[in-house]
Amino acid sequence: MSWELFRLLVEASGFTILYSAASIVLGFFLSAAVCAGMLSQNRAASTAGRLFVSFFRGTPLLIQLLLIYYLLPQIGLNVSSSVAAIIGLSLCTAAYQAEILRGGFQSVPRGLVEAADMCGLSALATFRRIRLPVAVRLTLPALTSEAIMIIKSSSLISVVGVVELTTMAKDLASSTYQPLPIFAAAGLIYLIINLVVAGFGLTAERAARRGHA
Amino acid sequence: MSLAPAIRARGVVKRFGQTEVLTGIDLDAPRGEVTCLLGPSGSGKSTLLRCIALLEEATDGLIEIDGEPLGFALGPNGERMRLPAASIRQVRSKIGMVFQQFNLWPHMTALGNVSEALVTVRGMSRKDAEAKAMAELDKVGLAKRAGHYPSELSGGQQQRVAIARALALEPKIMLFDEPTSSLDPELTGEVLNVMRSLAGTGMTMLVVTHEIGFAASVGSKIVFLDHGKILVEGTPDTVFGKPRHPRIDQFLDTYLDRGAAGLL
Amino acid sequence: MTSLLGYVTGPDGLNILSGLINTIILWLVGSAFGAVIGFLIAVARRYGPRPLDLLLLGYVEVIRGTPFLVQAYLLYFGGPYLCAGFGETSVCLTLDPFAAGLLGLSIYGSAYYSELFRTGFDAIPRGHIEAATTVGLDRLQTLRRIILPEMTMLVLPSMVNMTILMLKETAVLSIISVKELKFQVDIIGNRDYAFVESFTILALVYWALVEICGALGRAAEARLSRYRFAHS
Repeated sequence: MSWELFRLLVEASGFTILYSAASIVLGFFLSAAVCAGMLSQNRAASTAGRLFVSFFRGTPLLIQLLLIYYLLPQIGLNVSSSVAAIIGLSLCTAAYQAEILRGGFQSVPRGLVEAADMCGLSALATFRRIRLPVAVRLTLPALTSEAIMIIKSSSLISVVGVVELTTMAKDLASSTYQPLPIFAAAGLIYLIINLVVAGFGLTAERAARRGHA
Repeated sequence: MSLAPAIRARGVVKRFGQTEVLTGIDLDAPRGEVTCLLGPSGSGKSTLLRCIALLEEATDGLIEIDGEPLGFALGPNGERMRLPAASIRQVRSKIGMVFQQFNLWPHMTALGNVSEALVTVRGMSRKDAEAKAMAELDKVGLAKRAGHYPSELSGGQQQRVAIARALALEPKIMLFDEPTSSLDPELTGEVLNVMRSLAGTGMTMLVVTHEIGFAASVGSKIVFLDHGKILVEGTPDTVFGKPRHPRIDQFLDTYLDRGAAGLL
Repeated sequence: MTSLLGYVTGPDGLNILSGLINTIILWLVGSAFGAVIGFLIAVARRYGPRPLDLLLLGYVEVIRGTPFLVQAYLLYFGGPYLCAGFGETSVCLTLDPFAAGLLGLSIYGSAYYSELFRTGFDAIPRGHIEAATTVGLDRLQTLRRIILPEMTMLVLPSMVNMTILMLKETAVLSIISVKELKFQVDIIGNRDYAFVESFTILALVYWALVEICGALGRAAEARLSRYRFAHS
C-alpha cells in the first residue's frame, strides 16, 4: 500500500476525531441535564430521562442515525449530513453518559452533600460545585471507555454519507481493489486514536486521584 | 435576666420504621457553654444531634435555634407545621457542623473547602473569601497546608480544616458529631485542643463524643443518653461525681482508656 | 397503522419474518460462539504460558480497539484476497454475507466476552482460592468446583449487557448485505419512500427485544442472588 493512500486515510481520520470530539462534548452537557432529570423528584422529568436513556441505549446506533437523518428534513430542519450525524452521535452518547453519571451520583458519599447543606449551599449550588465534579471524578474510567466507544461508533456515520475514516477506507478499497491493507490500515489508525484517548483518560484519573480541580 | 438557651429541643421523637430511637427528648444547650452528649452506641445521641441540625427530620417535637424554630413550628391550631426552605436555610446559617467523617470535598484544596461557602453562599469575592479562609486555617494551625488536597492531609489535619470551614461562616453555635471517633489515637489530641481553645472563646458548642476526659474537663453540661432517653444531666461533678447512677458506672467501665480512669 | 398490519400480513411479511429470523440466528449463534471462544481465551490467558497470554492480549486489544464495521468490511471484502496455498490449489476466504457476518460477530464477541470472564476470574476473592488449596483441591478441581460456580453469579450482569450489545450489532451487518431484519425493512422503506416510518418501526422492534432481554436477565440475576457473597 502506498504512502499516498495512507496519507488520505490519516487525513480522513481527522474528521473522525472532529466528529467524535464534538459529539462527546455535546453529549456530556446533554447527559448532565438528562441525569439531573432522572434523579429529580419531579415525576415527569425522571420518566422523561429514563425513557430517553432506555431508547438510545436500547436501539442500534445505526438505526438512530438513519432515523435522524431522514426525520430532520421532514420536521423542517434541513441540516447537512455532518450535522445530522453529530446530532445522532451526541444523543446516543448522552444516554450512555447519563447512565454512567447516574451511577456516579449515587456513589457520591452522602456526607459530602450533608456538609454542603450545613454550609448553606443551595440544591443547585451543591449539584454544580460538589455532586457533579465528584461524580465525574468517580466515573472517569467509564467515561473514557465511552469516549472510545464513540470513536468506534463514528464509523457508522459513513452510512449517511459523511466523509471520515471508514468512508475513505471503503472508497479506496473498492477503487484500488486492495481491501486487506486498506481496512487493516484504517483499523490501525482507529487503534492508535483509541490508545491516545485511553492515555488521556489514565492521566485524568491520576490527576483526579490527587484531587486536582 | 437569663438569655434563652442557644438550642432548645422539646419532645423530640425519632422513629425509623418501627424502631423508636429517640423517645421524647427535652434538651437545653446554654449559650456560651459546652454541652456534651454522652452515652453507649445506639443511645441516640448522634441521631439527636442530626435532628437538631435538621439532617434528619424528627418524627415529632420542636427545635429552636437561638430562639427561632428550625424546620417545624407550632401552627395556629397547635399542630406541627413544616417551615419553608428559605426559613430553614436562614436558621441553619447560625449553626456550624463538624462531622465524624470530616466530609471535606475531595476535589478542592483545604483553602478551597474553607472558602467555598463564602463565595457561593455569602457572595464574597474569591480574593476576600480566600483571605478570610487563610485566617481561619491559621487559627487551627494549618495555614501552611492551605494548598493541599484532603487526600494529602492526615485525619487530624482534615478534621481541623473541617472545623475551620464551619467557623468561617461565623456561626453562633457549633455542633460536633463524634469529631474524633474516626481518628487514630495519636491524632485526637490536635483536634481536641482546637475544640478546647474554641470553647475558651465562649462559643456555644454541642458535642457528641466518646472522649470522657474531654467532656469532664471542658464540658460545662453533661447529658447522658441511654436507649433514646436522657438518663442523667448536669455539671460534670453532678454526673460523674459519686454516688453515680449505676448505668454510668457501667458505661465508664468500658472507657478507661478515654481518660475516664481519673474519674473512677 | 393499518398500513403497518398490511405490510406484515402482505407479501412483504415473509421477507420481514425471514429477516427477523436471520437476526435472531446471527445474534444467538454469534453470542454463543463469542462466549465460548471468549471463555477459552480467558482461561488460556490465565492458566497458559506467558507468550500465549501476550498473543491473545494483542488479539483482544485489536478487536476491542477497532470498529465492528471495519472488521466486517475486512472479512467480507478482504476475505477473498486472503488465500493459502498456490495457484490452482489456493483456498481463499470467500464468504457469503451471512457467513462473513456470523464469523465477524463471533470474533467481535469473543474479544469482549474474554475480557468479561477475565474480570470475573479476578473478582473472586483470593481467600476463596487459598481456602480451596488448603483443603487439598488441585488447580483443575479448584477451577471446576469453586471458581467457575462463583464466577457465574459475578459475570451474569455483564453477560446480559454484552448479549444485548450483540443484538444491536447485528443491524450493522445489513451494510455488508446480510439479509437480516434491517436489510429487509430497508428494501421496503426504499421502495415505498417510507424511510422515517420504517426506521421508527425497526427502532421499536429492537427496543422491545432489548427490553425483553433485559427483563430476563434481571429475573435470572434475582434467581441466582442467593449465591452472592455473604457480607463479612
